[in-house]
Amino acid sequence: MNPVLPTVERSTRASQVGALLGLVLLIAVISAPWWAERSSQRLLTEFLYTLALAQMWNLLAGYGGLLSVGQQGFVGIGGYCLVVLGLQAGLNPFLIVPLAGLVTALVAVPTATLLFRLRGAYFAVSTWVVAEVFRLMVANTASVGGGSGTSITQTVRGIPAWWRESTTLWIALALGAGATLAVYFLLRSRHGLALTAVRDSEPAAESLGISVERIKWYVYIAAAAGCGMVGALIFITKLRIAPEAAFSLDWTATMFFAVIIGGIGTIEGPIVGTLIFFLLRELLADHGSWYMIVLGSVAVVFMLWIPRGVWGLVSSRFDLHFFPVQRRVRNIDQKESR
Amino acid sequence: MSENRSIDQGRRNTIKAIGGLTAGALLPAPWVHAANNTIKIGYVSPQTGPLAVFAEPDAFTLGEMKKALAGGIKVGGKTYAVEFVVKDSQSNSNRAADATSELILKDKVNIVVAGSTPATTNPVADQCELNGVPCVTNDTPWQPHFFGRGGDPKKGFEWTYHFFWGLEDVIGVFTSLWSQLPTNKAVGALFPNDSDGNAWGDPKLGFPPVLAQKGFKLVDKGRFQSPADDFSAYIAEFKKNNVEIVTGVLPPPDFANFWAQAGQQGFKPKIVTAAKATEFPAAVQSFGPRAEGLSVEVWWSPVHPFNSSLTGVSSAALAAAYTQATSRPWAMPLAFKHSLFEVAIDALKRAKDLEPESIRDAIRDTNLNTIVGPINFKKGPVPNVAKTPLVGGQWKKTAKGFELVVVENSLAPTVPVKDKLEAIKA
Repeated sequence: MNPVLPTVERSTRASQVGALLGLVLLIAVISAPWWAERSSQRLLTEFLYTLALAQMWNLLAGYGGLLSVGQQGFVGIGGYCLVVLGLQAGLNPFLIVPLAGLVTALVAVPTATLLFRLRGAYFAVSTWVVAEVFRLMVANTASVGGGSGTSITQTVRGIPAWWRESTTLWIALALGAGATLAVYFLLRSRHGLALTAVRDSEPAAESLGISVERIKWYVYIAAAAGCGMVGALIFITKLRIAPEAAFSLDWTATMFFAVIIGGIGTIEGPIVGTLIFFLLRELLADHGSWYMIVLGSVAVVFMLWIPRGVWGLVSSRFDLHFFPVQRRVRNIDQKESR
Repeated sequence: MSENRSIDQGRRNTIKAIGGLTAGALLPAPWVHAANNTIKIGYVSPQTGPLAVFAEPDAFTLGEMKKALAGGIKVGGKTYAVEFVVKDSQSNSNRAADATSELILKDKVNIVVAGSTPATTNPVADQCELNGVPCVTNDTPWQPHFFGRGGDPKKGFEWTYHFFWGLEDVIGVFTSLWSQLPTNKAVGALFPNDSDGNAWGDPKLGFPPVLAQKGFKLVDKGRFQSPADDFSAYIAEFKKNNVEIVTGVLPPPDFANFWAQAGQQGFKPKIVTAAKATEFPAAVQSFGPRAEGLSVEVWWSPVHPFNSSLTGVSSAALAAAYTQATSRPWAMPLAFKHSLFEVAIDALKRAKDLEPESIRDAIRDTNLNTIVGPINFKKGPVPNVAKTPLVGGQWKKTAKGFELVVVENSLAPTVPVKDKLEAIKA
């Protein structure tokens, strides 16, 4: 028996199969306007933008250790970019999506300066407070509709239905898949190593020379920009925006649910979590308040007994990693490792 | 080796399971289409959440409609069965938009109807307008609905029609109501920062210019953020200005807070006319003895001299049937829910065929006497809008509890007045 040299592995068979599968899915979704029902397209759009939101929150809370409950603030600002840049300045709504990312990133800079003076629970509560401040500021600005809100139908009216729906789906795909891949490549990079170190122990990371503060700063700004872009896309599909709808805590609750159920701190987690969220919604949405009660109970059960989420269970049971971000040593002498 | 195989199998099964679940749940089979001998009417209503009180008559109304339409309806010489697809907006405009989009794209309804406040009618109508689906809405004053959606009085909308009263009516009713009693004409306003509050308090289209013209003095401290739990500042301001009349358009919990605090702080106006909060018997009962004497605009009551075009039932009979079936007192949305379906069914019956354009043209040509009054979209103040009559009422104590009695009808003399406005006693 020849001794086999141990090798460092950065991809798994699942990741190779997964990449292929991902490519097939990608092509399937891109071509959806030619084969899918309009209702399926709309559902796919919704799924993809929810996935993008979940990935953003996962990046924040799962990797950056920033437990934000105020991401709806950035979703709302992104949505209101449609009113200011679309309804008032007359820009194409789809062009506004990336611009909304830019605007929210700019807003996030001073917000971060303020929030990063706080730690733990104080940070979490303050993120919510900041989102409420954004909401009240918008509600008291009469030029964007104030507390009444406004319809943004005018900005999308000229676009033919087929193009409107297809472009919305493609942008949702760019955001959902883009967010997933962005997190994946970020984590595989040098900064990713730093980020995982920060996730596992801040003092230890700091002692190794990582600037914890700077890493968190970048993560916060990136997540804000992501939420802002998604916010603009969401309200292109809703057609009507009002402060209580745009800055609704529901957005963050959805992100939280998808990430917790799926598995926090993994890239597969938010995908699985978003799928479960949509499954539950399709099954239960017509049962009114019961739907909310079931969602809440499921989240509580997971937090108490399955803190690693569905993907945590699956990946440890089957050693399955579609998005391997860690380096693993393989082919160590069998006897030694057992 | 053996362990490796089990891992592989596990993986395969997991992947299969995930794939199967995804496909099953997310992608409805494209070959499933509605049977072509059924007309689908989509209905969006706030069945849960803070506006749920508006949707209380839903189950009763839908039951009546199913009974009345059991034999189907005839469109273009062919008889169709009628199916209702009901969606809950959860009192949330995001959800209302989603529900409508689902009705249009997934259920492929022929027509959408919806009612109850701008949070429901505006997002529903917006989705229909963009997707080219005929839509009828009511139970939102027409200005917040029309102008709130960016409507142009010269052009109007293509697919969406709305019927209800407007701000000019409620201002007219309120001022005639207040003129029945001698007061110092100082009016305190409670307008929240929402679609209704902003429209009512609008310095050009709302209450302020008309009140000034009619010699009333308006004490308006500005818009408050609803829900609000402390009205002390408002009460202090009202007391300072010697306010004798209080008005507003606010949700029941906000008004309950205001009215309880007014009692505690010794503020005793002669007239309190609050829209929305005191329109519903359930909310009014919860104010206890302090409900007596509150006044409100009345959009429909059992004494309204109208009959249903669909079932022929009179206002009084509809209210009685509702109370008998649900053991609840009548409320104004009851008839408006009924009338939504009256207008929709009437348009469908007159439509040439089931093409969206034909149904839209039939709605446009509506000229129908409904349980809430005559409806004609060509005679409205702006295109796509028809107005229904409005009167004023006061909650009076009777043996059976509080009853809303019509006390003012200057804008709609066909509705009989039963009593006079009395000052609040407590």
